[in-house]
Amino acid sequence: MDVERSVWAWSALGISALLVLHFLFRPFLVGLPVAPHLLIGALLLATLRLSAGQAAAMGFVLGILEASIALEGMGTYALALTVVGYLGARARDLLFADARFYVFGYLFIGTWLADVVLLLLGTSPPGAMRLIAGGAIDALLTAAVCTGVETLTSSVAERQV
Amino acid sequence: MRYLTVGRPESQRRDLLVTAGLAILALFIAGMNLESRLAVTRVVRSTVLAPFLAAHRVFARSTDLSEQVASLTSERERLAARVLESANLELENRQLRIIAGLPERRVGEFAVGELTAGAPEAGGSHTFLFRANADVELLTPAGISSPQGLVGVLRTAEAGSGLGEFWTHPDFRVGVRTPDGATTGILRPYSGAGGETLMLLDGVPYQTSIAAGTLLETSGEGGVHPPGVPVGRVLREESTRSGWSHAYLVDPIVRPGQVLVGLVWLVRPLPAAPTDSLADSSRAPGGEPVPPAAGPGT
Repeated sequence: MDVERSVWAWSALGISALLVLHFLFRPFLVGLPVAPHLLIGALLLATLRLSAGQAAAMGFVLGILEASIALEGMGTYALALTVVGYLGARARDLLFADARFYVFGYLFIGTWLADVVLLLLGTSPPGAMRLIAGGAIDALLTAAVCTGVETLTSSVAERQV
Repeated sequence: MRYLTVGRPESQRRDLLVTAGLAILALFIAGMNLESRLAVTRVVRSTVLAPFLAAHRVFARSTDLSEQVASLTSERERLAARVLESANLELENRQLRIIAGLPERRVGEFAVGELTAGAPEAGGSHTFLFRANADVELLTPAGISSPQGLVGVLRTAEAGSGLGEFWTHPDFRVGVRTPDGATTGILRPYSGAGGETLMLLDGVPYQTSIAAGTLLETSGEGGVHPPGVPVGRVLREESTRSGWSHAYLVDPIVRPGQVLVGLVWLVRPLPAAPTDSLADSSRAPGGEPVPPAAGPGT
């Protein structure tokens, strides 16, 4: 197995695990004052390896799933995550360098911006303080968890090869 | 390099087209009516999300079980006492109705079902999913309540399940009255100081005042909610339009997050009446037809 394929397979596994964790523990995570956005984190990790169109399609599907479980904002979630997927992949194209620090920064800024987009599109957005303080902590947690997953899957894949 | 680099111009154009197409589809979905959204939600929840939802139910049951047993026991005891108290009243009511020549009292029946509140990551939820037995025929809009009080309105239903809105939804309205029937008004959700969602009783005549702590219950006007369902208690007067009317802040009895089981009112259609008598009763003394009353809570 070549390096690219092995990294891809392990990344897909890591992303799937994040999505399963998100949907499994969603009721618990939504109830917490601050929690990692595993859905957005998984989408942003996927945008590192997908084309912009594929990332947008993944965002769209995740948006439909999220709205179906949340029972609200079906089109809104689909639209927001489609845009996040596309912009994430385009930003990766334009800005990326292959280093852990960049992955962390990309996930942090990406999650924060996605959080802002979702809050602005939401039916009853909370105040600016929630946006700045809560969103930043959520994004920090997301970036930490997802960078951990990315590091783990990459190192396992590289060691296997 | 482990990550993809900038694509070729033609693939960038293709990606942009795909994204634009998906964005348009998302906007189309956002504009769909509740029935269509319910259909999509049901398909997704019964296929891809089914294992996760089953796991959520198992978690919820295992964590809430002891609380539920305690609450059900006390509720059962309260209900038993109330049934005993109302047995004589029921008999008395039946006898008085016979004396007055009135037909049997139309109460309607309730469909009991599981109520799943929406939980968006952003903002609060106004929507819930109601699931009863598939053979229950639900007519919408229909009032939904819990044993404690009013929960909201079921907006769309199919095969025993449907989507509804909690009383916190900005469009929600319900006609209410005080238990003695002396005061009536229309309740709507209201954002109080500190962002807490309360209710506002609007349009109370200026000469009428309501004491703090007074219970408000549904008036039944409009035919969406059965009469007599507790809705909330008056907190204080919020504003006065001098010489016209009062508005009161109301503390709701039921908070959306607390409800796990809902009772949907199955409105029984009115018995068929002779056309002549209906025509007569729908005419004002002057002979003009009276328009049907527009009910609140719809």
